[in-house]
Amino acid sequence: MSKGVLVDITKCIGCGSCTVACKMWNKLEYDNKVPSIGEDATLNDKNWTVVVQSSLNNAKGESVWRFAKQQCMHCVDPACASACFSRALQKNADGAVVYYPDLCVGCRYCMIACPFDVPKYEWSKAAPQITKCQMCSSRIAKGEAPACVAVCPTGVMKFADRQELINEAHLMLKRDDRYMKTVYGEHEVGGTCWLYVSDVPFDQLGFKSKLGSVPLPSYTHSFLKNVPVIALGWGVLLTGMSFYARRRNEIAKAKQAKRNGTDGNQQGEDDDFDEED
Amino acid sequence: MTDKKFTRRNFIKLLGGASVIGAGAVVAGCASEPTGGKGWMPNQYNVAAGWPVQVKGRVAIDRNNPSIERDDTKCILCGQCLEVCKNVVSVYGYYELPIKNDITCIHCGQCTLWCPTGAITERNDIAKVMEALSSPDKHVVIQTAPAVRVALGEEFNLPPGSIVQGKQVTALKKAGFDAVFDTSWSADLTIMEEASELIKRVTSGEHLPHFTSCCPGWVKFSEYFYADLQPHLSSCKSPQQMLGAVAKTYYAQEKGLTPEQIFSVAVMPCTAKKFECQRPEMNAAGVQCGNPAIRDVDVVLTTRELATILKANGIDLNRLEDTAYDSVLGESTGAGVIFGATGGVTEAAVRTAYYLSTKQEPPAELLQWDNVRGLKGVKEASVTIPSVGMLKVAVCHGLRDARVVLDKVRSNQSDWHFIEFMACPGGCIGGGGQPRTSLPPSDDVRKARIANLYKLDGTAVKRASYQNKEVMDLYQKVLHAPLSEHAESLLHTHYVDRSHQLNVKL
Repeated sequence: MSKGVLVDITKCIGCGSCTVACKMWNKLEYDNKVPSIGEDATLNDKNWTVVVQSSLNNAKGESVWRFAKQQCMHCVDPACASACFSRALQKNADGAVVYYPDLCVGCRYCMIACPFDVPKYEWSKAAPQITKCQMCSSRIAKGEAPACVAVCPTGVMKFADRQELINEAHLMLKRDDRYMKTVYGEHEVGGTCWLYVSDVPFDQLGFKSKLGSVPLPSYTHSFLKNVPVIALGWGVLLTGMSFYARRRNEIAKAKQAKRNGTDGNQQGEDDDFDEED
Repeated sequence: MTDKKFTRRNFIKLLGGASVIGAGAVVAGCASEPTGGKGWMPNQYNVAAGWPVQVKGRVAIDRNNPSIERDDTKCILCGQCLEVCKNVVSVYGYYELPIKNDITCIHCGQCTLWCPTGAITERNDIAKVMEALSSPDKHVVIQTAPAVRVALGEEFNLPPGSIVQGKQVTALKKAGFDAVFDTSWSADLTIMEEASELIKRVTSGEHLPHFTSCCPGWVKFSEYFYADLQPHLSSCKSPQQMLGAVAKTYYAQEKGLTPEQIFSVAVMPCTAKKFECQRPEMNAAGVQCGNPAIRDVDVVLTTRELATILKANGIDLNRLEDTAYDSVLGESTGAGVIFGATGGVTEAAVRTAYYLSTKQEPPAELLQWDNVRGLKGVKEASVTIPSVGMLKVAVCHGLRDARVVLDKVRSNQSDWHFIEFMACPGGCIGGGGQPRTSLPPSDDVRKARIANLYKLDGTAVKRASYQNKEVMDLYQKVLHAPLSEHAESLLHTHYVDRSHQLNVKL
């Protein structure tokens, strides 16, 4: 059963507890140059989650501050995991998309693939890794909420089964007409485990709209699924042809030697590689 | 050459083999463990998602908050700042969500006293003061609040409440300040104005009960939550701002200086004073001299910041002799000194109100008015003043208790004439800028500080504000009388309705 988190933008006061919890639980450094709270808050290799402050007008035309927590959306069908040929990014049954640094080859395809621009690279390190929110997979495995959810004083976030949260979100939208009539993350790129409700338009909060509801991997899956078959088949074919050609050569050489009455097996195997140029 | 040469072919075989093993591992999905989750969380958060966590999170602090700031690297999400903000100050949780365009904060700084790791601190303004001190063309004056003299010593290993009034003046002189003034002086000035205002209101019956206005935390709280009761607020500025305005006008004239030459610093037990000195309307001296950009008070330091400056300069309070405050803003009375304790403003105001109404010295009862002293959340007392009648007063400290009183006033159920409000428990001696002598702040420390303020009052020669000669000189030379036009322009202020900045929880 895929878990999820429902974020109610209207309840956030911008305290940033979630960003601190993330740093504490994941032992992340603080970035002196890139804040994790405020107007300039930006996701990077040290900031797995940020709270971005926006000044905008609400439906009544009042000037309001809103805070949008950003982190990996944990797509139902993640493009990053689909793009990762070394399986460093994997989708867990509980919904979390997790990163295994030992498997990563550092190609950064996931960064290109992610529609939310979430995976970041440790550019400053000699042995860099990809970094992103793990939805506290080790905590949710124990039945605990992700660290950011656990610490939120105003109850912005709720951790539960994804489908339950979608149902609850729609009830909220029905009961309170202040909310925008969409649950962000329900359908975007095929759905995400992080879901948002808000009283101001999502695109004004920095959320990407027009992502469509088709999971990105489905675009490439129709032809990329053949890659292993083609690669292996191509290898088998070429190997077979190589053996066939070699055998023909040997037979031809043997026949030639018989005709000439000499031993055709004079040259060493490694002749071509023995000497340097 | 050996038989087993490391040939190019062998090298390529080796690479190929490693690649095959690597690819095999990848295809099998082998990995030690995913990234993250190697840190820790306070224990209350390590429970199944369905269980409640009682104390969690932290307060929101605006990046532009003039009073307090937070170092996230020290925050452990213990929830203590929220605890005090909600249950003592009654700000957090008293407004509806979503918020509007303001992070509701009254700048009282109680969170800086409760924060166990020192993540939340006052906004550090030491550099501005050091810069002014090193500037030869600046005449740097400093005023110290009554509550500082019974707390600063704690930063130098003295017992809670130790009186260091004279030593503190010596220390400030050593640190390079050109003149050291006493905010108790302007507390007396405040009382002259406020007692006159109280008498005026009592006799006319308008805008009663009269609310005190010397606590900037309380003032902002009222602007947020009780803006409808604004007419009740005294129009008097706080002692800090009165002294600031007078220093750049009257003192400047006396010394032959221009307001631009004076850099005015205040040492306060308070973080809300940092907010107060930045309020746009606090530029009376500037308006008077035609340069509204001049602030009456340039920088406010907390008691803790002063201790930091002294320690940085190698000044040990314990080794210093006493020095008197500088004239012409340095004389004080017992009434001015007790401003630092809850009930002190009331006691001081009533002493002077008695005199102004009757032209007689206040009775001994008003020189030790036990009913308004102590740490009870809401204190009530009454006194009969000849020719005025029965004067009923209430004293609140800690704004959660104040709400009870305010709600009564709002619903016309109050019969008080005068109500004193202080945001911090214990009054200014328990202010958000005071030394963190106990964590969280304890009543024992508060009581020790209060006891010594009353001791200073009890041993003072002059016990009432109207006896302050330097204050009277100001009236004689410049202001003429309390509530005069000149006094109104220099010493009185107006307030802002902030109720539109939040949705108050009903």
